[in-house]
Amino acid sequence: MQNLEKEQIIQDLLPQEFGKQGKIWVACLIGLCLIGFGAYCHQLSKGLVVTAMRDYASWGIYISNFVFFVAISLVGSLITAVLRLTDVHWSTPLTRIAEIIAVSAITFASIIIVVDMGRPDRFYNLFLHGRLQSPIVWDVIVITTYFFISILLLYFPLLPDLKIMLQYKERTSKWMYKLYTFLGSFWKDKPEQFKITDKAINILSITIIPVAFSIHTVTSWLFATTYRPGWDSTNFGAYFISGAFLVGSGGVLVAMYVFRSHYNLKKYITYDHFDKMGKVVVMLALLYLYFNVNEFLVPAFKMKKPEEEHLKGLFTGEFAPIFWFAITTSMLLPILILVTKKGRRPFPAFIAGILVVIGSWFKRYIIVTPTLLHPFLPMRDVPASYHHYFPTWEEWAICIGSLAGALLVITFFARIFPIIPIHETITETEEHEHDKK
Amino acid sequence: MNTIKNKYIVVILLSFFSIASFAQDAKNDLMLSMGYYNNNNLTQYLVAHAKTKIDGKFQMVPDVAIKFYINNDSAATNLLGTAVTNDKGDAILMMPPSAKAEWMKSVKHTFAIVSTPSKLYDEAKATVDVSKAKLKIDTTDDKKLIVTLLELKDTAWVPVKAVDLKVAIKRLDGDLNVNETATYTTDSTGTITAEFKRDSLPGDKDGNLTLIAKVEDNDIYGNLTAEKVVKWGSKFQYVSQFDRRTLFARRGHSPWWLELLAYAIVVSVWGVLIYLVGQIKKIKKLGV
Repeated sequence: MQNLEKEQIIQDLLPQEFGKQGKIWVACLIGLCLIGFGAYCHQLSKGLVVTAMRDYASWGIYISNFVFFVAISLVGSLITAVLRLTDVHWSTPLTRIAEIIAVSAITFASIIIVVDMGRPDRFYNLFLHGRLQSPIVWDVIVITTYFFISILLLYFPLLPDLKIMLQYKERTSKWMYKLYTFLGSFWKDKPEQFKITDKAINILSITIIPVAFSIHTVTSWLFATTYRPGWDSTNFGAYFISGAFLVGSGGVLVAMYVFRSHYNLKKYITYDHFDKMGKVVVMLALLYLYFNVNEFLVPAFKMKKPEEEHLKGLFTGEFAPIFWFAITTSMLLPILILVTKKGRRPFPAFIAGILVVIGSWFKRYIIVTPTLLHPFLPMRDVPASYHHYFPTWEEWAICIGSLAGALLVITFFARIFPIIPIHETITETEEHEHDKK
Repeated sequence: MNTIKNKYIVVILLSFFSIASFAQDAKNDLMLSMGYYNNNNLTQYLVAHAKTKIDGKFQMVPDVAIKFYINNDSAATNLLGTAVTNDKGDAILMMPPSAKAEWMKSVKHTFAIVSTPSKLYDEAKATVDVSKAKLKIDTTDDKKLIVTLLELKDTAWVPVKAVDLKVAIKRLDGDLNVNETATYTTDSTGTITAEFKRDSLPGDKDGNLTLIAKVEDNDIYGNLTAEKVVKWGSKFQYVSQFDRRTLFARRGHSPWWLELLAYAIVVSVWGVLIYLVGQIKKIKKLGV
């Protein structure tokens, strides 16, 4: 490889300063975060009574949001681990995008679960008095583990890139240079260092798969271990994992398009990437559709009385508009768009990705709340408002703030670190050229 | 003018009487019945039952005050007491000690119940005749039950033949037959014999079982029972499940397999992560 080409890759992939659009984007996200934080302060002072959650709908959009974050975080394990272990090289430019989505999502999943607590100051009791038999304890354990693994998976491949960035002092600010020095000044491109890093990444790739499966299976068991219509299912773990891979892949499609067009990375995130990622999304959407058919058809066939009320509420009742919106936008439309070659071009794929992400968020709401509003015993002697749930402005503000926070983490990461691995891209290009010769 | 006035008065009066008669028609008939109970020759009580027919269906009537009498249905001296019907339409009155003198006067008695009239129901009455009788329950070493029904004639207890009675073992939620036969009829000696065929039935910690003999809804004797405790059951030692290691137990009492599995997974995964952190240090050393 010519030095010029290598130099070009480095120049293309080094982090770029925010332009005008970037600054407006960051300002908007910070604004939304601040509104969310203000709403949370209000909730803290007044208590959970400021939410629309009552005796029956005790889990609202906070928990839907939590499940959504956990779900989207699984993409890290899919792109980084599954594709790496199966020796799929086209995903190399997407690994860091997937990992940062995973890290930011899992961070905000932990935050939003605390937001859902009436007394967050008593959170430590979970560690002091938690029961090992409780899925809540398992959730805390696997979220912490998954977060740590994701951080390591982000860090190890970053080491060679840190050395490159340290060589381009003029492209970095002072504090960023200090950060790079702290994180990777010891990297000298020694073969022993590469050997250790490769081994560590392989170990992490193997470790993250069962942990990722555990994290979402445990999250599904928070629901499935209770005896309620809509949740009482042996299928829930697989159903949740397939949905999680779908939303994560949809998120990657969106991020790919945004980074590609904003940072001018057309040479690195190509049509081929959109084509392949689009096919992955179609496969995952079909898989999730299959699990949905299982989840709804079997109880609908038996139509036990409590299930009947729940299913009618979803199919034709109070929740029908959201239910059909979620099914259509998260699965049916993306399949229709991405199943054709034209649909797998960047812009249509981006639209399909957005549909998957939005639809999937509402799908989590459909999983969480309608069940709570269809208890086995009839709701009696409660205020009329207890029969329905519509989030208050505080809940919307906090949820939107948390989503903005997750995007802010991704945005700042892309500002500080290369969003496409520089060293890996150079190595793969060299290998590609060597193979040509 | 006077004629018109009179016509009005007639119309008003007719209306009043028609409303009054309609109001009377609105009252339902209250039907009373009663039963006499003597449990284990110790506890005597009376149960009154109130029901009515609405839209062709019988319905239990709660909140009806019922007076219980012995041998007379109006004299205050014969009043045993008052009870109010519950949701099932039953009113229960334990025989008061004050009724002993009246009870001892004769071998046969007539009990009467009278309901208190209300806006919904008129007064209703019912009576039941009861002859003094008792059940005696004996057992043999070869696990046989001998139950005898005796009636008080003048001053002597004489056996009663051709009366149906049940023999069973008392359990928590009902009675369990001692063998495949549920009901027996007393012979000329007023006796029935039943074989106990429930081996290894759990009893209390000493293996005690309670046998019970019953005469139910008999026209002459009412409801009689007799009980006897025998050591024919297997010994049952209660073991508290509270501190057992189960999935539903309290903190620190999860099953061993779960603890081992969970901690093994946590330790092995975090062991790998700690090892990898160690590898970062190694990389650092190599770079110095």
